[in-house]
Parts: sequence; C-alpha cells; structure tokens
Amino acid sequence: MPLNIVVLVKPVVDPKAVVRFRPDGTIDRSAAKLVANPYDKYAVEAALQLRERYGGRVVGLSMAPPQAADALREVLAMGVDEFVLLSDPRLAGSDTLATSYALSAGVRMIERKLGKVDLVVCGIESSDSNTGHIGPEVGEWLGIPSVSYVDTVLDVSEGYVVVKRLIEGGYMKLRVRLPAVLSIAGTSYQPRIPTLRDVLASRRKQITVVGVDDIGVDPSLVGLAGSPTRVVRMWRIEIKRKSKIFTDTDVDALVEKFLEELRKDGITLSR
Amino acid sequence: MARTVLVYVEVSDGKIEDHSLELIGKARELATKGGMDVGALVVGHGVRELARELIYRGADEVHVVDDPRLGTYRLLPYTKAVAHVVGATSPEVVLFSATVVGRELAPRVAARLRTGITADCTDVDIGSWTDPLSGRVYENILYQIRPTFGGEIMAAIVTPQHRPQMATVRPGLFPIPQRDETRSGRVVEWSVELDEDSLDSIEVLEVRREMRKVDLKSAKIIVSGGRGAGPKGFELVRELAKLLGGEVGASRAAVDAGWISYDHQVGLTGQTVKPDIYIAVGISGAVQHIVGMKDSKIVIAINKDPEAPIFRVADYGIVGDLFVVLPKLIEKLKQGRLPGGS
Ligand SMILES: Cc1cc2nc3c(=O)[nH]c(=O)nc-3n(C[C@H](O)[C@H](O)[C@H](O)COP(=O)(O)OP(=O)(O)OC[C@H]3O[C@@H](n4cnc5c(N)ncnc54)[C@H](O)[C@@H]3O)c2cc1C
Ligand SMILES: Nc1ncnc2c1ncn2[C@@H]1O[C@H](COP(=O)(O)O)[C@@H](O)[C@H]1O
Repeated sequence: MPLNIVVLVKPVVDPKAVVRFRPDGTIDRSAAKLVANPYDKYAVEAALQLRERYGGRVVGLSMAPPQAADALREVLAMGVDEFVLLSDPRLAGSDTLATSYALSAGVRMIERKLGKVDLVVCGIESSDSNTGHIGPEVGEWLGIPSVSYVDTVLDVSEGYVVVKRLIEGGYMKLRVRLPAVLSIAGTSYQPRIPTLRDVLASRRKQITVVGVDDIGVDPSLVGLAGSPTRVVRMWRIEIKRKSKIFTDTDVDALVEKFLEELRKDGITLSR
Repeated sequence: MARTVLVYVEVSDGKIEDHSLELIGKARELATKGGMDVGALVVGHGVRELARELIYRGADEVHVVDDPRLGTYRLLPYTKAVAHVVGATSPEVVLFSATVVGRELAPRVAARLRTGITADCTDVDIGSWTDPLSGRVYENILYQIRPTFGGEIMAAIVTPQHRPQMATVRPGLFPIPQRDETRSGRVVEWSVELDEDSLDSIEVLEVRREMRKVDLKSAKIIVSGGRGAGPKGFELVRELAKLLGGEVGASRAAVDAGWISYDHQVGLTGQTVKPDIYIAVGISGAVQHIVGMKDSKIVIAINKDPEAPIFRVADYGIVGDLFVVLPKLIEKLKQGRLPGGS
C-alpha cells in the first residue's frame, strides 16, 4: 500500500550557536543561521524508510519565515520529495496552539493536492522550544489519533500502523488507526547523510511557499492573536560548573593531574 | 463554585505515582496563594479507592472517572474523559506531570479546549501580570517557568485570557506532601460517554516494563555508564562504583542495549538524581540525560571526544579512552590515594 506521508520540519536557530539577547530581553534570531531541527531528521529518516518499504510520497511541511528555505534544502537532499513552506507575517508570534492549527491546515492543503494523507510524522520536540506539543495538537485539529515518543514504526497494513513507543521503564506496542500523527523519538532512526549526487538532485526539487490565504486558515486563530500564551520574560541560566578539563597522552599523568586537582579543591571521591 | 487548581493524577499498578503527589503538594501551595481549592482528577479502572488518599495528601475535591474500558491508558478515550471533567468544572489551572503520558495527553486536551499550555515546567507560581500592550492587569494568574533553547535559557510564560491555564511539570522537583488523615474532601464520580470511534483508534498490543528496584535518588555517589562503555566497560563502571561506595547509573542507550537494567537509568525517562558526585563514563550528554543529573553537586565526565556536550556541564573532565583511564583511576584509588582522604 503506497503511503502519502507528510513530515513536519521546523527550521530553528542552529542549536550549536550561542543564543543572543536583544537589549529588551527578547531573543535575537536575526544573525543566527537556520537549520532543520535536529530531532526532525529522525522523523524524516523514519518517513523515508516507510516510503522505501511501502512506496508513496514524502512531502515536507514547515512554518517559518521565507529565508528558512535554505535550511530545508538539506532535508530535500536526504530524499524528501518536495516541501511546502508556510510563510506569512500574520503567523509571527504563534504559540503551539496557533502553530498546530496552521500546520493542520497545511496538511489539509497537501491532501487536496495529493489525495489522502496516511501519516503525519514529526520530531519529538524542537531544539528551540522543546515542547513536543505540535504532534498531539496537530492530531487534535485533524481529529485523528497521535502517538508521541515513537521509537520504531513496525508495520503498516489494512488501515493501521503498529508502533513501538517509549515509556518509563520500557516499551509499549500499539496498533493505531490511520491516518495518524507520529512523533518520532530519535533513538532508533539514524538520519542518512546525503551524497553529493543527492544534493545536486535536490536542487530541482520544489519548495512551494504559501501564505495564510492560500491554505484557508482563520487569521484570528494564528499569530499573536490566536496564541493563548505570552512569554513574559527570558533569562540565561548560569551553569555554575568548574569546567576543568584534562587531556594528556600519558594516562598516568592524566589521571594524576585530575586527582591532584580534586585534592586541591578538597573533594573526596569516596562516600 | 470555588476556583480550583486541578491536578491530573497518574496511576500505575493501582498506585498513585509519586510525581502526582508532588503536584498535589505544589497545587496546595498555589491554591493557598491565589485563594483557590485543590482538585484532583483520576482516570482509570478500579481507581475509585484512591480518592481518599488524594484527600489525605491535600486535595479538597477528587474527580473520579472509573470505567473498565479505561483500564489501560489510551490517548483518545483519556482525552475525552479529561476534557469532559475539565469542561464541566472549569478549573482555573490544570497541571499534569511531564511524563510520557502527561506530555502527550496534556497538549491533546489543551488543543481540544482551545487553550494554551506550557511544557515541562520546572516551577509554577501564582502572581499578577500587566499586559504591556493593553495595560490590563491580571491578578492571581499562573506563571509557568521552564527551560528553553535546549536548557540554556529560562522563560516565564502566562496564559492571560484563556482558561484553564495548563502546564506539564517535571517530576522529582517538589516534596511529597505529608499524609493527613484528618483532612476531609468531596469525591465526585463521573460517567463519561466513550464513543467506539475513539476507543477503537488505539489498541495496546503489548507492554514491557521493568519494575524499579534501585533507588538512585538518595545515593551520594553515582557512577554512570553509557553507550561508550559497552558490556566490558560496565564491569569497570561497577568496580569504580563499588570502590567509592556508590551506586551504578546508566544512560538510556546502555539500558536499551541490555548492559544494565532500567532501574539504573538516569534522565527524562529514568530517574532524576542529585548526588554529591556524579561520574559520567562514555556518556555523550544528550539533553534527555542531562535533565536527570544536572543538579548533582559535582559532575565528573570521562569521554574520549573532547567535543562531547557532557563536558559543558562537568566540573572535571577527563578526555580519554575509558578503557585506559578507568583501570588507571581504579588502580590509583586502590593504592589508598583517595583525594582529600587520609
Ligand atoms: C523521549 C526520549 C527520552 C529519553 N530518555 C532518556 C533518559 O532518560 N536517559 C538517557 O540517558 N537518555 C534518554 N534518551 C536518549 C538520549 O537522547 C540519548 O540517545 C542517550 O542519552 C545517549 O546515550 P549515551 O550518551 O550513552 O550514548 P551516545 O550518545 O552514543 O554517547 C556515547 C559516548 O561515549 C563516548 N565514548 C565512546 N567510546 C568511548 C571510550 N572508549 N572511552 C571514552 N568515551 C567513549 C563517545 O565519545 C560518546 O560521547 C531519551 C531520548 C528520547 C528521544
Ligand atoms: N514551525 C514548525 N514547522 C514545522 N514543523 C514544526 C514546527 N514547529 C514544530 N514542528 C514539528 O513539531 C515537532 C515538535 O515541536 P515542538 O512542539 O515545538 O517541540 C518538531 O520536532 C517538528 O517536527
């Protein structure tokens, strides 16, 4: 059974970059480079493996400013067939409720073009907001089941998907009716590295930029107006660690230096 | 009707989860501050008997949805049950634990009620807020405090106009309230109409869960091994732990590989630990691991990759191959050269 899969990819400020504040306390995103949310690459890998197994199409969907398109190229090179980029000034300031509403409208738009969408896959959380809300919330807007913390997709057949889900202390195996939203925990899908040929091929792939009017969302339910939550304040936490790092090619000297430092700092290793 | 702070209570094997009790305690604090009542909501099968215990722990009213079809957690019927009770009782605040269940169920309920929600809070508080745009003052609203940007930055979030104000709160941060058998409260039983459609949407085929035996929470010293250790390395990790009189911890990767049982796992889906000394061996330092050990007094990391993120949260870092470093360290410690000691 060929599958139509939508994969949600969030362009984020490169998590390796140090977050910068503006004088008014808001985050300065202008200078930082955007990349695909690292967790979403596991979701992309899961989607691609499903396409390899069952056939079908994998369409990427992102909500971000237009300059985020560059970040999506990398994901197209991994093998995603095409991207829809939802970009509109009216979407700015959306919290997870508003974002999930807009993305669910994006899924519906893709559905009108492609036919029925069987699976929506997304990452377990984004590296900048770390909420993990989008998966369950998109499921709710679309009125379909969702599963968070999916470790592996085991099987798809007869209108159901069987997944292994992480829980505290172990796993759960679930049979879930399609269509469904799956949030992929990045533990068992190793994202593929595109080859040069993949990168070249991806240049011909389409990124369709659409706005609020194209996907037919109610403008009062997106952006700041459609967002129940307000960020009041942000501050940096100081990680108060000594950060004394030891290197030495001679292991005896290395361990000795380390123990010497502990002694100097008055730290006892035993209980 | 009194304004309430409602806590969604998780039950496992007929027992109230500790993190849910912690939340009842926290809710009590919020309720006192904001002139509210504490409500508890428990969903499942055979959970009716737990109501009294929740009252002893601080709930003023307990809402029970007890139904044989809710015996195992399944997202859609549970969403239905929670949204039903919340919709009918209109609490000001609803708190969930930031567990795998809470972090899936809470946003689903929030979206159904078209309200806001904040994930994975490390603290919640009651206070007032003035909207800088309209100048309007909101009294006694919920401050939702959480790390963001991978933990580097903290954010305070409010939900000024929508109700309920919702949040998931990280387990292991607040004390479990004392049991007080003199407390009394109200128990309300609900019967929720569960449609076949949502009942059929998800079927649980299998649950594999290890019971918790090791208590890492009270350990003073923990030596944890990760994927880098491998089964051989774990022998060294165990030896060091024994030598220091500490416990053995592990990353999820090590647990998944089967080198050690789940009850040793530290992190988001394992235990939250705060020992005096935490030694991470062959652990890269993924956020999900760090949330479980970052409040340790002293962190020592041994890793061959100088770029490993674990070094960013370490007081002392040894860059080197654990198979060379650990035997040497053990040897030196055995020679009676425990630093700071005799
Ligand atoms: C929803 C969810 C929940 C999770 N919950 C948890 C959790 O509770 N706890 C948890 O730990 N993880 C959890 N994880 C997994 C987490 O994301 C990481 O995958 C995991 O912590 C990695 O474990 P690790 O550091 O042992 O392995 P790796 O990331 O593979 O790191 C191994 C490290 O060992 C080093 N190494 C290798 N060989 C040597 C050597 N010879 N000498 C020295 N160093 C060496 C490497 O340099 C590397 O840094 C969760 C993930 C998800 C998505
Ligand atoms: N703006 C966005 N565009 C596309 N996908 C998103 C967006 N925000 C979140 N997601 C998806 O939802 C997942 C969870 O994100 P979050 O709820 O922000 O932690 C991410 O891993 C993405 O797959």
